[in-house]
Amino acid sequence: MTSMKIKYTKTERARQKKILKVSERMLPLFEAMEKSLMSTILTISERIDQIRAAIEKNQKAAEPWIAVMGDAWVDVAQFISVNETITRPVDVAGIRVQQFERVDFMEMPVGEDTPLWVDDAILLMREQLQLMAEIRCLEEQIILLEEELLEVRARVKLFENRRIPNAKTAIRKIGQKLQDDERLTIATAKVVKTGAKRR
Amino acid sequence: MCSLPSLSFGQSPPIKLEEFTSIAKSQLSAKSYKMLEHVSIQYMENNSKKGKLKSVTALLDDLQQDLSDIRKARAQNRQPRPAQLPGSVLETNPLDREKQIMQWQWEKLDAIESGKTFTFNEVIVYKLKLQLLWRLHSFNAERGAQVLASVVHPAERKED
Repeated sequence: MTSMKIKYTKTERARQKKILKVSERMLPLFEAMEKSLMSTILTISERIDQIRAAIEKNQKAAEPWIAVMGDAWVDVAQFISVNETITRPVDVAGIRVQQFERVDFMEMPVGEDTPLWVDDAILLMREQLQLMAEIRCLEEQIILLEEELLEVRARVKLFENRRIPNAKTAIRKIGQKLQDDERLTIATAKVVKTGAKRR
Repeated sequence: MCSLPSLSFGQSPPIKLEEFTSIAKSQLSAKSYKMLEHVSIQYMENNSKKGKLKSVTALLDDLQQDLSDIRKARAQNRQPRPAQLPGSVLETNPLDREKQIMQWQWEKLDAIESGKTFTFNEVIVYKLKLQLLWRLHSFNAERGAQVLASVVHPAERKED
């Protein structure tokens, strides 16, 4: 703990008591916020894992026929691409984040002479692109929540390691000093009184 | 035709399309070569509905009508009823379905050239069969996975 300059006055003691009272009231709030953020981040991470598993499952399901996507006749990439990911702002654990709504696709109509497998490939790609877009939104949410978590943790540490101990120390030291001063005043008064009697 | 390797469905293409074209150019008349140039198993031009290409165009039309019916049935959530394609194409995965469709085309081409040895028809059918073999040869799992990845992870592909 760094040394601090203390004013040994009753006003300062009252000020430090107020700081201690506020800090002790705020600390549980920040601790609760830290827990809430950690739990929200964990929940979002689990959702990301679930989506990744769904992507993997789709990929596995397509494995038996994925070779057809190498078809030299068709450039399937021209049939579908992401135009925009639509999100809406929501408050998660007190933080404003963007929640995934849907993906707006740019799709080229499939011609009658287009091989039939292209329809299946477009469905698969649609699904995978939606899931990927949702993952990106969730990852951005985690970044924002982690930034907030860092700030909240810094505050918890500040209250735990600085504000509360400093205020307690200041109150103790001021109390001791004020007691010493009082004793000294009484002793001085007694000495003065005794000297006056002798005279 | 005797100088060209024989073709069978499912085999690796024994000759490049460019090589075939070059041989055809050297051995066919200008008019026949021009006609051959415009023949493709992928699509047929509207002016090919008469003469030697009539049967090939009919084959492609039949296929297109069946594909169109299958697509409509999917959109209307009903059971498709293809008129020409075997019903088994509806029960398999997209790769096997495409292979079955190609095999059906192959068999139809066999029927078209049957009994027409050493004719221009045989040359046309040879080209179409060769195109089918090259298409079949392009079905490759590794390449397919790359194509899928290039659509699903376009940014990652650019970074690579």
